[in-house]
Amino acid sequence: MRAPRSVLKQQFLKKWMMGLQVFGSAKQSMSILERKKAIKLSADIALASTRAGRTCWSRTIIADASKDDDGKVLVQHLLSPESERLKKASTGLAMENKRVRCKKILKRSCCIKRVRKGASKVVLAKSISKRIVKRRTQVLKSLVPGGEFMDDISLIEETLDYMVSLRAQVDVMRRSLAKATEVVNGK
Amino acid sequence: MINRALLPAGGGENMLHCTDMTVLERQRARIKWQQEQQQQFQLQQQEISYFTELADVFHQAGVHEGGLSEVVTRSVKPDPGLVDNGWNNDHVVGYGVGLPYNNGLGFELNYGAISRTSSCPPEAVAAVAEATVKGSESVVSDMISSGAGRESSKKRKVDKIQNNSKVVAEEDTRDKRIKGCAEQGESKITEKNNNKNSRNNNTNKNNNSNKENSDETSKDNSKVSEVQKPDYIHVRARRGQATDSHSLAERVRREKISERMKYLQDLVPGCDKITGKAGMLDEIINYVQSLQRQVEFLSMKLAAANPRLDFNVDNLFAKEAFPACSINFPTIGMSSDMTNPAYLQFNPAQQQLVACCGLDMGIDPPDMALKRTTSAPVSIPETFLDSSCFTQTHPPPTWDADLQNLYNVAFDQGRQTSFQTQPFTGSIEASNLKMEM
Repeated sequence: MRAPRSVLKQQFLKKWMMGLQVFGSAKQSMSILERKKAIKLSADIALASTRAGRTCWSRTIIADASKDDDGKVLVQHLLSPESERLKKASTGLAMENKRVRCKKILKRSCCIKRVRKGASKVVLAKSISKRIVKRRTQVLKSLVPGGEFMDDISLIEETLDYMVSLRAQVDVMRRSLAKATEVVNGK
Repeated sequence: MINRALLPAGGGENMLHCTDMTVLERQRARIKWQQEQQQQFQLQQQEISYFTELADVFHQAGVHEGGLSEVVTRSVKPDPGLVDNGWNNDHVVGYGVGLPYNNGLGFELNYGAISRTSSCPPEAVAAVAEATVKGSESVVSDMISSGAGRESSKKRKVDKIQNNSKVVAEEDTRDKRIKGCAEQGESKITEKNNNKNSRNNNTNKNNNSNKENSDETSKDNSKVSEVQKPDYIHVRARRGQATDSHSLAERVRREKISERMKYLQDLVPGCDKITGKAGMLDEIINYVQSLQRQVEFLSMKLAAANPRLDFNVDNLFAKEAFPACSINFPTIGMSSDMTNPAYLQFNPAQQQLVACCGLDMGIDPPDMALKRTTSAPVSIPETFLDSSCFTQTHPPPTWDADLQNLYNVAFDQGRQTSFQTQPFTGSIEASNLKMEM
């Protein structure tokens, strides 16, 4: 049986291993922090490449990773067939994000509501809950990569997809850790 | 409030099965399927029979290729979770079919099989189809239209027939657009089409005829190749509600958001009981944060376990095998005796970590943090069990805020990317974070 979830995991694993090979060949002795960074970076890029270009969070991850050298190498390596299109998408994303951010700042500066005076309890409760929801939405936006530039609706969609991918990533990493420790303990 | 359809916890698992397929394949298959489905529009009056079939499809779809026709016609005891809560026919959960195919051709065959042999009501089948074939940009866009279909039918059974046809029409419309969209790879258009579809849905809320839907559908069918259709939004107000455009748009938006939240509710473990947006958001935030932290933690441990970054090919082969034999790995499974191997695993890695990172990092490695808070040594490994399978019966270990802060500190200093600790101000839930895994 080949469940679709395991297809995702296998894709991710393959790409992750490919990315790690890049690092393996490059340096011989790395400190643990560097290794951890390498592992995590290749894992993230591999994860983003499984959803290459279709979701905002994956594009954001790739765009961010392409900014520094290590990431750029990895991106090119892992996404060589599609890298051109993705690079364009990523740069377009950066532009668009700036635009969105400017618009939001403008909007926020224009309309600031004040609902303080003598509101009934119901209205007060509603405004409190709205504030709570808003605050938490902001938190979520900071969590999901590329989330700050999305409206609520697409934010939730992205969160869904991101959550599924994260879960797959965690599973794969945990299993490979299990394997690795087996090997280490067996030695 | 309004009775909304909710997947049982088991269904959440199934849903995950279909979230990982590549979009284009699913899409193509789905469109073909929708076409066939619309041609074979049948009304199914029996609840149980199509629940049975759906349960069949759910359980068996992942099993074998090309055998769906037999699967669907076989009668099996329906999933009890599906028949619960006095649902109407309308509220059949639509998604959760995991089809294990990689090629679009396989999909098409299967969908053909479904449409030929099943006599599920079109809404249910449409929902099933769309569940298995995701929209062009994201997992959710299809679910949303199924959700939209459900929403449309939530009023009365009388409208069921009309709603069914509506849903089919809408989804067909949407599919065509999504097909065009996918080839362009534009998520915005999908969103717009979602908007248009849910708004079309709203227009038809008050006893519109099927003919109108089919007119729309045929009109849209003729414009398959177009990517951007003029989005005139015809929304009709519901009975007894405000009618100005702002509130209508507001209502549409709210409904969309709540639909998506429902899907999130199915994904995030432990959210069946939470009904408000704020609480749901809280759980979602916790869950995403916990997943991200786990990634950090696992990558740190992997770095510790592999001094040379050589992951041999055995890993790959192991992964190939894991769908078939999922029992071999100690981290899989939720039984309590599994927690011990998982916990034992931490210890050898801990010593390595201590030896390696020691003081030059200047922070406590996460394992040390774990070691310190040994007040609940068994509960901690539980959180690192397979995050995809969890049990509701087992009471979740509750983190207190201290442990969470420890993790925050440890990971903040360890990572380079921006990972902000989010103080959950003023909410009691923050201190009772349930990390249900």
